[in-house]
Amino acid sequence: MLVEFKHSLRNYGGQIAGWGFGLALLGVLLVSVYDSFADQMDMYEQLLEAFPQEFMAFFGDLGGMATPEGFVAIEFFSYMPLILGIFAIQAGSGLLARDEEEGRLDLVMAHPVSRTGLFVGRLLAFLCALAGILFIAWLGIVVPMNWSSMSLGWGEMARPFLSLYAEMALFGALGVLLSMLLPSRRLASMAAGLLLVTSFFLPGFATLNENLESVARFSPLEYYQTQEAFAGLNTLLAWWRFMRRDIRVGGEGGWRLGHLIPWSSRTE
Amino acid sequence: MEHVIDIQGLVKWYGSVQALRGVDLKVQRGELLGFLGPNGAGKTTTIRCLLDQIRPQAGNIRVLGLDPQKNPVLVQRQIGYLPGELSLEGTFKVGQLFRYLIRLRGNRTDQAYLKELTRRLELDTSRKIKNLSSGNKQKVGVVQALMHQPTLLILDEPTAGLDPLMQQEVYRLLREAQSRGATVFFSSHILSEVETLADRVAIIRQGVIVEEATPDQLTEMAMRQVQVSFMDPVDLEPLRALPGVHVLAESDGLSARLRVEGEMDALIKSLAGFPVKDLQTASHSLEDIFLKYYEREEEEA
Repeated sequence: MLVEFKHSLRNYGGQIAGWGFGLALLGVLLVSVYDSFADQMDMYEQLLEAFPQEFMAFFGDLGGMATPEGFVAIEFFSYMPLILGIFAIQAGSGLLARDEEEGRLDLVMAHPVSRTGLFVGRLLAFLCALAGILFIAWLGIVVPMNWSSMSLGWGEMARPFLSLYAEMALFGALGVLLSMLLPSRRLASMAAGLLLVTSFFLPGFATLNENLESVARFSPLEYYQTQEAFAGLNTLLAWWRFMRRDIRVGGEGGWRLGHLIPWSSRTE
Repeated sequence: MEHVIDIQGLVKWYGSVQALRGVDLKVQRGELLGFLGPNGAGKTTTIRCLLDQIRPQAGNIRVLGLDPQKNPVLVQRQIGYLPGELSLEGTFKVGQLFRYLIRLRGNRTDQAYLKELTRRLELDTSRKIKNLSSGNKQKVGVVQALMHQPTLLILDEPTAGLDPLMQQEVYRLLREAQSRGATVFFSSHILSEVETLADRVAIIRQGVIVEEATPDQLTEMAMRQVQVSFMDPVDLEPLRALPGVHVLAESDGLSARLRVEGEMDALIKSLAGFPVKDLQTASHSLEDIFLKYYEREEEEA
């Protein structure tokens, strides 16, 4: 398990650097413009008053941008699930299915590593890679704060990153689960991506149309307290499926649901 | 006799397609068994069941006395495997890949033997895998299967893509592994390879083992072709009446091409009564017996 963990983490190296420093750069830019933004707060408030009410309802409390917390929340964290979700879903759906579809998993699984060891090793590597990206991004905000009027503590700044980590872990785990259930990694990415985009926009639309409120309640992004539990459940189901399924070669697989039924006599 | 591989009644479905229809096969310790069959006969499916990469719907498998589904790690620790469609991480250098695979095996590899393997197969470990030719990638596959000197080698077409010199080197390596006590189970399409290398041959057709024998036994069972020409036109009816003799072609009673199954004795005795000008028998090989099964499959199709 440890060998597979280290190997997978090493493979994530480029993505950790790319995503991490990209987001960190965005953080540096945001902090650097905060002072000039704060100076022009009167103009901004006038601008907000000119916006239609529906626009304001869709985007939430834009007036909160007057505070450092609100500024970072709106300018960085409000859309971050959508951006980093691309990494989480791609990495999750490719955790095992990428090597499987490219025919490499056969060779790895012919070595003395259990399915559980392989699954856990790679999952931990993904979670560490995600943590690494968010850590670098966090540094990109908190370090330049020392030269800015943005008065937020380092620990205070870590909280939204932890929340974002839970959201991304959830969508990563969903990607893993779907890649174990659907015939291809691409389909798994598409399905998880669709759910992410829907979850992201639905609460905004629900503020405009009360008929959508009942549906928006099911958005995973709305449940801050239970995202870890959902991520854990998805992971468990994905592991359960991986332990029982055939390792496909050359794009085998189909839409048959027989393989999902534990007591079915035929798998795939 | 101890069986390193013991397969009984193996059944595997892929959806509505039955790939294995009750495979029964035993491989003895120290044996070099060639696994033959046309494309889609079930060779790779059988091998992947042995490694617990796919799960059969019915049947029992014991590998080295263990159930690969219940003890996959214990089984895999003693196996060297070469997949039929080898795919490797292209960004790795050959040496890096070996180090990763050695670590997966708990560093249980003799480095001196690994060096010997790469030297004998003329493999440059400093090159990136994506820059290797298909033949060199195959060498990487062969080396990784052999490098930890496993008890059981399971090789899916081990010499595919290799030039004749390297094929001979792989044969030597497999014989050396066998002489050290390893059991070798390999599938192949190259009949001469099986004929020269295997102690025993198993032929799979449409998901069932249809023949198990030594290469010598199989060639004895093969049908012979006999070309006979006569000094004067003759009536071939007495030959047609012989059991196991089929007249494939004739030319005005002056010559005939015959197919003979089993012993030649009855035919030769019968021909003694004919004015025979010339008699030729085609040398038979494992290919004949393989083609016999293959043709039967096509006829049934």
